[in-house]
Amino acid sequence: MEEKISQIKKEYLGKINRAENLGQLDEIFLSLFGKNGEISLIPKSFSKLSKKELQIITPLFNQTKAELEESIEKKREEVREEKYAKLSDEKIDLTRMAFPDQVWEPRKSNGHLHPTTQFIHETVEVFKKLGFQQYEAPHIDTEKYNFTLLNIPDNHPAMDLWDTMYLNLPDPEDSNKKMLLRTHTSNAQIRVMREFNPPFRIMSIGRCFRYENLDARHEHTFEQFELIYVDKDLSMANLQYLSEYYIKSTIGKDIKARLRPKYYPFVEPGFGIDTECIFCKGQGCKICGGAGWIEIGGAGMIHPNVLKNGGVDPNIYSGIAWGPGVERMMMMKHGIADVRLFLSGDLKFLEKF
Amino acid sequence: MKVSISWLKELVNLKVSIDKIIDLLPLRTIGTKDITADFFELDMKGYNRADLLSMRGVAYEVAAITDSKINFTEPDEKDFVWTNQNLPETQVEVKNPEFVPLYCIAKITGLRVGPPDKEWVEKLQDCGLRSVNNIADITNLVMLEYGQPLHAFDAQKVSGEKLIVRGARGGEEFVTLDEKIRRLHPSDLLIADPKKALALAGVMGGKNSEVTGSTTTIFLEAAIFDPVIIRKTAARLGLSSEASKRFQHGLTKKRLLQAFDAAIKMYEDVGGKLTAVSITGNLKDQQKSIELNYRNLNSLIGVEIPVEDVKKYLTKLNFKLQDWQAIPPYFRLDIEIEADIIEEVARMYGYENIPPHKLQGKLPDKIDQSLFDFIYELKATLVELGLTEIQTYSFYSTDVLNNLNFNKNNLIKVANPISAETEYLRDCLWSNLLEKVVQNLKQNFDQIAIFEIGKTYHSKEKSAPEEKNKLSLALSDNSPNSIQKLYSIFQKVQKRLGGKIELGRTEMDEEEKRLFHPVRFWQLTFDGKRIGEIAQIHPRIVNRFGVEKIVAVLEMEI
Repeated sequence: MEEKISQIKKEYLGKINRAENLGQLDEIFLSLFGKNGEISLIPKSFSKLSKKELQIITPLFNQTKAELEESIEKKREEVREEKYAKLSDEKIDLTRMAFPDQVWEPRKSNGHLHPTTQFIHETVEVFKKLGFQQYEAPHIDTEKYNFTLLNIPDNHPAMDLWDTMYLNLPDPEDSNKKMLLRTHTSNAQIRVMREFNPPFRIMSIGRCFRYENLDARHEHTFEQFELIYVDKDLSMANLQYLSEYYIKSTIGKDIKARLRPKYYPFVEPGFGIDTECIFCKGQGCKICGGAGWIEIGGAGMIHPNVLKNGGVDPNIYSGIAWGPGVERMMMMKHGIADVRLFLSGDLKFLEKF
Repeated sequence: MKVSISWLKELVNLKVSIDKIIDLLPLRTIGTKDITADFFELDMKGYNRADLLSMRGVAYEVAAITDSKINFTEPDEKDFVWTNQNLPETQVEVKNPEFVPLYCIAKITGLRVGPPDKEWVEKLQDCGLRSVNNIADITNLVMLEYGQPLHAFDAQKVSGEKLIVRGARGGEEFVTLDEKIRRLHPSDLLIADPKKALALAGVMGGKNSEVTGSTTTIFLEAAIFDPVIIRKTAARLGLSSEASKRFQHGLTKKRLLQAFDAAIKMYEDVGGKLTAVSITGNLKDQQKSIELNYRNLNSLIGVEIPVEDVKKYLTKLNFKLQDWQAIPPYFRLDIEIEADIIEEVARMYGYENIPPHKLQGKLPDKIDQSLFDFIYELKATLVELGLTEIQTYSFYSTDVLNNLNFNKNNLIKVANPISAETEYLRDCLWSNLLEKVVQNLKQNFDQIAIFEIGKTYHSKEKSAPEEKNKLSLALSDNSPNSIQKLYSIFQKVQKRLGGKIELGRTEMDEEEKRLFHPVRFWQLTFDGKRIGEIAQIHPRIVNRFGVEKIVAVLEMEI
């Protein structure tokens, strides 16, 4: 047995050494470690050995096995590095492509837009018709724009609504504070108010972040869509209209919308937006938990303090903030059970859209 | 807040069924979470209705929305147990009165620790608390009913029978009731005796002054502490308790005195005797009076609500309305401005009864939408050419960081990452695309053509960080010509969208030599300025992800 192991070692170290490419090394690997590989077969005869013999054979076997594995890996590296070294010898000019196989031809199936892009695009088109226009606010922001100016003071219990990721970057205006990843698209509100004179109808859309552990229903990175609408005499009835208009345009003409009291510090009053459950038409089913209604987003009349902070006179103007939960809507619409799929990059998932 | 149903029935003469209340609460007041036969839970996360953290507050609210009558009266100050007795004062010293608007201590003697009343155990259980013993349970029951946290110290363990409210000293250590050693911060507020700390004010009591089986005399504490201090301490020590929650939401002096009185009477009912008391602080709550304008009300709601109804709704909610000055009940700390009052009227009217009203007014001025339009057009074009859009995290995964060996010093770091997977913000897209190419190759996709348009994040010396919109394409199609094909995609896009981006050779820097093929690397320029690259990723790098494939990428700013 001892001899056999040494024999295998000698023979294969030679083979490994002589190998010229990765294919040969793969073959060597298989003939050693495959199901019927020479090394794989050896322990099968261990039962025939005495205890004393085993004390010698086992360490020798393990050592040899490790050594062979290591040399194959080392040789693979060598072969690769040799190949890599030759890469610089190539002559190539991208602008001259003589052969058809160097030109991209779309295959019979087209590519796919990400479902989030599709959803946002449809939503944007729906609200463009009402005169809403897009505006982009930064992902990295200060507490001031994300919280304080939105009527959310430091250390207020309302802060519990947003578990926040902070960055190792000092706030340029206040070195005691760190910058953060925006927790909502509402960080556009103050900027919009300061940049444009009312009336305005804005859509603030994009990626937001929360300190949230991942599971099928929770993502730390998600999308928000928010309307910021400031004009004279805006009312809760207008807000009701926006909800109905949206639901009728995107979910179904016969589906009702409903507002419920909900607290967000930057609006007063604040609302949860519900839609009649599309699965049971309000009768109550498993998906809506028997309620007949499903929450799809949040909204409210912009708080006078927020208007003031944005330089808008709350005695003249009022404002509406309104937005559906993007992933929630998509999951409902497409019957998606796991929110993590959206950012998974999994083509099996993405090619369905 | 878990609301005990049997207790609620004691406090309100309900005109409607519990089912009806459970249907109505989310429509008029607040969302609900768990609902069982014994309790329903109000979803208080981040909510501002401090009054709903008490059974009495919930009773007032339920009575208002169901047109029922409450079943209790609020005691008159004349009837407080300490008012008509000539009692000595307990020794109390409040060193930071600015953080402690009211601090009350009652000395109660003659107690014997024993099992609690069966009804108490049930009430506590329904509200989600565990019964401990008769002495401790009284503090919890009163907290639940009135919303005012109370604390009982074993008087024997208080040196010199003197209680001091003071700030913690830096480095001071203290063992809380859960037997953990807590390192204190000077911003923490403590209850102490002349020798040692006894409790973290408003957050948790101490092991050294806990009520035990041999306790006969207690100091009962009822106090208001600064909510911000309590919040900071509770957050820093990760100690969120029923008490600290209530301190943070805000308390009223009026309710505090009622709770203090009720607790002392309960201790007397189990054989205790009030022998000394001290009340430190001003007893008056701030009273608010808010002007309500009828036109503003109708205008904000968008419905004309008859004056009579406005009055009726506000009266049900215990507001006083005189000459359009609204005075909220003392327990509604959340009411601050006119819009708050309008909300009260609107929710009583019923949000579901507000009809939709079309948007009026002129359309706003046009603003530049070209970037948004361009991005969508670009995506649509790439999809038409057969590429699939993916979206990846704004972070680098540990796989990407380890395999690409990026210099982390150049990256923006998250101060409190959820895990190592969310610790560094991405400053390019192609590396995330490479990771996804490999993941999909391993799922038996052999021809992969993907792209992402998204933000990258770049720190700047002395100014706010920069965010760039970037496009990245990745192609791995099992042919040696991926790079040529990728370039042909780029040409087609350029042709269709009319770009003027030029391809050119450039000297590769060390980092680029490490990451990319030494020859298959070109820069993209616009107006003479480099805006990106088209390159084949170095096979050594691809190999680290566990595949032997050619992957070509393009990355550019848009």
